Amino acid sequence: MLTVKNLHKSYKVGKTKYEVLKGVSLEVNKGEFIAVMGSSGSGKTTLLNCISCYIPSDDGSILLGDIELAKLDEKSLSKIRNEKLGFVFQDFLLLDGLTVRENILLPAIIGGKINNQIEIRAEQLCDIFGIKSIQNKYPADISGGEKQRTAVARAIINNPLLILADEPTGNLDSKSSRAVISSFEQAKKSLGATILMVTHDSFAASFCDKVIVLKDGTVWRTLEKGTMNRLDFQDHLLSAISDMGKE
Amino acid sequence: MMSFSALYSKLRKKNIGQYTLLSCCCFFSVMLITSYIFMMRSPTILDVLPEGGDSRKQVMMIFVLAVIGCAVFTTYAAGLFFRQKSKETGVFLALGASKKQLKSELWKELSIISIISCGLGAILGIPLAYIIWSIFRLFIVDTEEMALNFDINSYSYIIIFSIYVIFMLFIMGYKSIMKTNIIDIIKQTHSAEPVHSVPKWFGLVGIILLILGGFCGYIAPSIFILGLHWYPPEGLTAIFYIPALIGLYMILLHTVSNGWNKRKKYKDIISVSMMKFQGRQTVRNMLVMTLLIAGAYFGSFYTPMLGTGAIMSFDDRPIDYAYHFRADQNIPKKDEVFKLADKYNVKITSWADVPMARLGVDGEMSVEKETSLGTTWESVYYNLLQSQIFLSKSSYEALTGEDININSGEIAGIMDTSGDGQGVFGGDVTLVTNTITGESWSFKPIEHLCNDILFGRYVVSDEDYQKIITGLPLDWQERMVFFNVENDEQTYDFAKALFNEIVDHSGKEVAVYDSFDPILKQVHEELYGYYFLDEQEPPNYDNRNSSDFRMYWQYMPQFRVLDKADFIKTTAVFLMLFIFISIICFVAVIVIAFTRCITIAISNKKVYDDLRHLGASNNYLNNCARSQVKKVFLVPIITGTSLIYIFYSMIMFFNDNRLTFYEIAGLLVCLVLIAIISFVLYLIYRLTLRKVLNILKI
Ligand SMILES: Nc1ncnc2c1ncn2[C@@H]1O[C@H](COP(=O)(O)OP(=O)(O)OP(=O)(O)O)[C@@H](O)[C@H]1O
Ligand SMILES: [Mg+2]
Repeated sequence: MLTVKNLHKSYKVGKTKYEVLKGVSLEVNKGEFIAVMGSSGSGKTTLLNCISCYIPSDDGSILLGDIELAKLDEKSLSKIRNEKLGFVFQDFLLLDGLTVRENILLPAIIGGKINNQIEIRAEQLCDIFGIKSIQNKYPADISGGEKQRTAVARAIINNPLLILADEPTGNLDSKSSRAVISSFEQAKKSLGATILMVTHDSFAASFCDKVIVLKDGTVWRTLEKGTMNRLDFQDHLLSAISDMGKE
Repeated sequence: MMSFSALYSKLRKKNIGQYTLLSCCCFFSVMLITSYIFMMRSPTILDVLPEGGDSRKQVMMIFVLAVIGCAVFTTYAAGLFFRQKSKETGVFLALGASKKQLKSELWKELSIISIISCGLGAILGIPLAYIIWSIFRLFIVDTEEMALNFDINSYSYIIIFSIYVIFMLFIMGYKSIMKTNIIDIIKQTHSAEPVHSVPKWFGLVGIILLILGGFCGYIAPSIFILGLHWYPPEGLTAIFYIPALIGLYMILLHTVSNGWNKRKKYKDIISVSMMKFQGRQTVRNMLVMTLLIAGAYFGSFYTPMLGTGAIMSFDDRPIDYAYHFRADQNIPKKDEVFKLADKYNVKITSWADVPMARLGVDGEMSVEKETSLGTTWESVYYNLLQSQIFLSKSSYEALTGEDININSGEIAGIMDTSGDGQGVFGGDVTLVTNTITGESWSFKPIEHLCNDILFGRYVVSDEDYQKIITGLPLDWQERMVFFNVENDEQTYDFAKALFNEIVDHSGKEVAVYDSFDPILKQVHEELYGYYFLDEQEPPNYDNRNSSDFRMYWQYMPQFRVLDKADFIKTTAVFLMLFIFISIICFVAVIVIAFTRCITIAISNKKVYDDLRHLGASNNYLNNCARSQVKKVFLVPIITGTSLIYIFYSMIMFFNDNRLTFYEIAGLLVCLVLIAIISFVLYLIYRLTLRKVLNILKI
């Protein structure tokens, strides 16, 4: 479904070049729910931004199915973004001039696919995430967690095949976190969606099929859940992370 | 259900302030340019400033300055607009909007903005020009030449400027959505461009560079010409000002990121660090503001500088009426002038009328040569270089009433009292030639005499005068008339009538420029094959009321009352145009400073809230905000003002290595002007500060 091969990315600040991704390779199968972990500044956001082609990468390839994303022209890329990708930004990026509801509907409006069905779906999503009562408010007047849930709802409104979520549970209490994760699981089950979720939270990660741990710009380790139950997997993750700290 | 267009227009309504600001700036600049062009191209003003004249060129130059000012502030407003819009654009793109989709929405709204603002500006510019002009006539001067007529061709210039505005909008809009890095687009709204730590020595080195650059730039041309005997190509010398620009940038950088006062460092830490965060953008804006302020003042200084000196020199003139003419011309003589005076009820109280003669003299000339380096020159002595006008000792005494001492064989040049004319003065003469008989005599130069009206002429003893003019035909002789009248101030009509008489009686052969010299013409023709004055249209008697004719006709009479009135009229036109330019530049400065302060306030609102939660008192927050606004607003204004004043004084000083009395008076008037304008700017600073405090809820 998604194959990333030998991805390189560096930022130039003034004259110095900071290498952030130094050859990341990963393979995500269709319908997998995957977490990406790693210490702050290890390049998780950068990785997601490269996969969605929001920022150009220096080297390596990104294949979605058998399509090489970086080689697409502008028009087909935006079509893919609109119809096949759902993105949750770390800082939400809601538009201040639109209400919560309009923000959620934005991808559908951009794609020109707005109809009753979609509006009903928006309604349902608001219900699921507990933001129904604020759906006519503006982002300036809602809390951080509410913003985050709005951003998640926006990412899945178009039933995307690949969801890229950058810490979608970062600001949430465990109940809201569960709602976000269940909606991802729901998307996975009913649509066969593939999810790549960045998180610091081993609780959220323990729901995933696979956890990819980034370190020093490469994939340090990939942990498979396999047949483990959720709690065992969470313990396994915690010990792996503390191993990483010792090295 | 909502389409993308409907959504887009909802956002537009939400951000109406940004759209208004941009439209207002475009509207304002087109309106200012329109009224300026209409004024400049109106037949009224073209009469006063004839084709090819110096004054027309100056007005054109200032016009260019105005256009640059307007272009700068509209471009700046557009930059701010697209910056504020970039988050929206980025989110749209990230969610899969195609660039085509965004472009079509953007094109729609930009077309509306540009058509409405440019159209309205172009229409309302005319009434604006008319109103300003009428106020001007009401309060300052009102003569029949001052009626304003409009020339419809001016619209072609306005269309060109509008096209610039529209193109600029569309290109910046295009650039704002065409970046490939979507994250960059999103982050643009809040992107900080921190000034990387600026070393402490930047301030001092900046000042040194500034002074050095200003000085080098100013004297570079004279070093090339006087020292190396080489005429550098146009524009090359501008390079020498570049260190000054770099120095200015360093000073502003130092002010923004380090501040000048070390002890206050901790007190100012908040505002300094917030400014750092705004970084390069702010410093660049401050640089543009400084240059605009300097330009605006440079324009405003011109009139008072010229005006003060001239008005004072009219009053200092030793004689009310003076005129001279070639002896072969049939110009009104004593009895005719008295008759005319009678007709106008003017009483002539004194009369002097003496002969003068044009003779060849020796001197040095810089001869230009083409070499591989370009044009160089060297000084060459000629026995017969040019001609000068000579008076006898008794003629000089008759005109001036002074007693002077000149012996046979001696020659005295006449200087002006202020010393302004030093550069024009012909220099010491040692050999005089009668060009008709070919005879030459050696003379010994003695100390200069002083007289403003006879300036540039030479005096010899009576015997010598008779000797050297023997055999001179009438067209090499002149007459000079001096007379005084009662109540000089009230004799304008008489002066005008006499002036017209004199022009009407002058033949084509004396329609020559002030600096025309028949002998120099021969020398030049032998040397270069042409004489530069032959390439210009000679003064035209039909243009007798234009400032160029009055300034440059060789036989222009000097009637105090007429000169004063004329001067005020032509100066008024200049004043008008310069006031206009200054307004444009100052408006540009204000727009830039205001928008910058508001942007800083908006983007730092959170910091202020946090500080308040940390327990900062309102007083403290107030000080922080004040210090920020002060930096953006006052630093460029103070720097620009003081720089240009120093530079201007320097020009005044170095043009003749001293400050004459008139120059000092002019500089004082400029100081008053600065005080007035600074006061207005200060009020606007207070207003901006209040607005900023409002936004920050302090
Ligand atoms: N636009 C940029 N310019 C320069 N450096 C950047 C830029 N964006 C990120 N970086 C640097 O790249 C590195 C990785 O950043 P990234 O945002 O990918 O980290 P992250 O893993 O998402 O961290 P976090 O968990 O804190 O969100 C960091 O060291 C950061 O400083
Ligand atoms: Mg991140």
